[in-house]
Amino acid sequence: MKTKFLTIIAAASLFLASCSKYDNFDAPELTLSGKVVYQGKALGVRNNGPQLELWQDGYPLKSPIYVYMNQDGSFSSKLFAGQYKLTRRPDAPWLQQSTDTIRVNLTENTTIDVPVTPYFTITNETFTKSGSNINASFVVNKVVQTANLELVRLYLGKSVLTDQVLRDVRVDGNVSSLVFGAQTSLSADIPDNLKNLDFIYARIGVKATVASEYVYSPVQKIALK
Amino acid sequence: MKKFYLAFAMLIGLTMNSCKHDDWFYRDSKTTITDEQLWNDPNLIVSLLANYYNRLPSLHGVFNTGGMTEIDDAMWSGTRDQNGRNDFQYGNDYGRYWDYGLIRDLNLSLENINALGGKLTPAQKSLFVAEMRFIRAFVYFEMVKRMGGVPLVTKQLIYDFSGDPTPLQVPRAKESEVYDFIYKELEEIKADLAANNGIATRANRYTALSLESRAMLYAASIAKYNSLMAAPISTSGGEVGIPASMATDYYNKSLTASKEVIAGPYALYNTNPDKGANFYDMLNKKPVSEVIFAKDFALGTKVHRFTYDNIIKSMTEDNEASSAISPSLSLVESFDYLDGSRGTLKDKDANGNYITYTNPADIFANKDGRLFGTVIYPGTTFKNNPVRMQAGVAVYTNGSYQLTTSTVLGGNYTDGQVWTGFDGPKDDAVDVSNTGFYLRKMVSDAPAASTRGTSAVNWWPWFRLGEIYLNAAEAAFELGRPEALGYVNTVRARAGFPANSLSALTNNVIRNERRVELAFEDHRYFDLKRWRIAHLVWDGTETDPNAVVMGLYSYRVVRPGHPDNGKYIYARIRPTRFRRARMFRMANYYSSIAQDVLDNNPKIVRNPFH
Repeated sequence: MKTKFLTIIAAASLFLASCSKYDNFDAPELTLSGKVVYQGKALGVRNNGPQLELWQDGYPLKSPIYVYMNQDGSFSSKLFAGQYKLTRRPDAPWLQQSTDTIRVNLTENTTIDVPVTPYFTITNETFTKSGSNINASFVVNKVVQTANLELVRLYLGKSVLTDQVLRDVRVDGNVSSLVFGAQTSLSADIPDNLKNLDFIYARIGVKATVASEYVYSPVQKIALK
Repeated sequence: MKKFYLAFAMLIGLTMNSCKHDDWFYRDSKTTITDEQLWNDPNLIVSLLANYYNRLPSLHGVFNTGGMTEIDDAMWSGTRDQNGRNDFQYGNDYGRYWDYGLIRDLNLSLENINALGGKLTPAQKSLFVAEMRFIRAFVYFEMVKRMGGVPLVTKQLIYDFSGDPTPLQVPRAKESEVYDFIYKELEEIKADLAANNGIATRANRYTALSLESRAMLYAASIAKYNSLMAAPISTSGGEVGIPASMATDYYNKSLTASKEVIAGPYALYNTNPDKGANFYDMLNKKPVSEVIFAKDFALGTKVHRFTYDNIIKSMTEDNEASSAISPSLSLVESFDYLDGSRGTLKDKDANGNYITYTNPADIFANKDGRLFGTVIYPGTTFKNNPVRMQAGVAVYTNGSYQLTTSTVLGGNYTDGQVWTGFDGPKDDAVDVSNTGFYLRKMVSDAPAASTRGTSAVNWWPWFRLGEIYLNAAEAAFELGRPEALGYVNTVRARAGFPANSLSALTNNVIRNERRVELAFEDHRYFDLKRWRIAHLVWDGTETDPNAVVMGLYSYRVVRPGHPDNGKYIYARIRPTRFRRARMFRMANYYSSIAQDVLDNNPKIVRNPFH
């Protein structure tokens, strides 16, 4: 009888041991990081906005791994080692490049630049406070010659996450009089609810008619006191 | 004993002989219905049709409490595990609908009834065929309005095991081709459906015309307003996007269909002199005069729990969840005043001081009767009982009002009078209004309707005359016809406005009229989409009262010795549970197509922005 129990216990422990083998996969350890760039310069995007997609061949079920971007255009993703295909989703402020896949062979922590062609870029931006106003001066450059400008906007916000969605002030620039490549300025009143803060954040956003998202300048912190 | 066994064995041998009669093997099954039996028995066909009618698709419709809280008309105030409805942005697959299982069932039925239904009379057969084609057109309409042009499959696709699946890979039709298909089908079957006239729960001639009215209006407005966008959403093959040149034709088709329905046997429900109660009764009492096509429910056989989900807090008859839908302030304010002025509520005067009201309901006085019929607000009644809504008291100290609320619902303030009412509203609370409003429309007032044991049996209106009037008004307005004004004024007169209350129409008037007349009837999401303004109205801006679901809380004034003591003031609030402004992206105009569909059929073109 005793041996019988022993056998059962032995069998049971074997069974349990084998479970752990299949239950516990190692967590992905490698990091793929990088940023979206145009001519070597990172592009600002909306927080929680544009995405990239990673695909991996060789498995029966195909589904993308979404890669979210920070508002400075950087991203990172924890992955297993392997061959990946990186694509740029069309719901973004740059040209659709759905057939243009970047192959990534991930064997160690990797940093890559993802080149994109934005419809417009913003350069030479400066923000200054004068009295109760924030004055922004910047240059809008046309990159895709067929693109049309829909909106140029100055945003003020009380957090570092400032964009079309998260903002306290939005001022529209005059699109028809804007000259590409030349210095443009926009100015916004600081509203009452921001006046007494130590500092606020400002940012410029530009949207092409064919795009669903804005391309932004880097966020600028402006001291009010 | 041995003899006995022998005899027994011989007996068995004898009985086995009788198996030689072959018909024993060919008896009719008692558990399986054959195709021949089904397609020759009208009763069986009707019960199959009931299955198909029951599978008619909707997005926020057929008492989908959760879906109704995902647009700007309401927020979710039920259990916390579903608070995601207040904290999300429309995903790439939001509203995705790709039901070729149902299409295949319908195509199979249409082929079989024609091949096998020899014993049906021609009239029976043509009616059943027409009903199935109506359902198929309805399903294609639901697909095209969410996905754009979809593959038009009108017969069974059968694999021939040749190793080559390409004959099964049907490419997407143009968006306009799907709408044209719907129009053609409905025109062909509407005469056959006349046999069902007078029946509100099966497709009849006017149901087909109503679908035609709605579908053609959608096609027309996509043709017109998509082309007016700064960058029209389209694909090079026309799977998405309809040329602007087709708009007039579609508007004409819609108007013609609407006029036929209006000339039919229906009338706007208008029996109760109390216009607010009349509007509520219009859906709750199942009047066949106005509702053209409905999904019906019956006690004991098929019930729904919309009333259990949404009954006002203090009148719950069950022990768990209630009050899941909290209608928004922006919806309440879209109901105009009866004198024709905009419906913005007067909570503060020009100097920013609170305006005091003697009774809680006074701020809602002289509003469109449909406000009463759609939402429950402070100071009104439900089931003939007064509702007990009051957010708290406003104590006047040091020159301003301090707004305070009780920790428990129904608590009394130090002066012995109500502090916070049994019905709230209460911020950050579960199963009680978070916006200061409850839903009345389609919440049944029948006894025990809010219990799970009995449940509610009021019906779901797929089509009703009120919508057809507004379809006609919109189409006529877009075509520059003068009769547009009369259609809108007819609908408004039923809501309590004086006759000819409007003297001129604009797009905004028509759009606002649709919002208030058809609230919670699964129209708004698709209306904003086809007018191509969804991304502007729901722009995700946290400071925009249209994108954010706001509330209005009522407070009793405590200011002893002052004439305002005991009166009521109202404060606009943003409910804590509402976490993220509604954000509709360009990618949401057409839902993404599922990856397995793209994998299986390489001819399928992706939608723009996906």
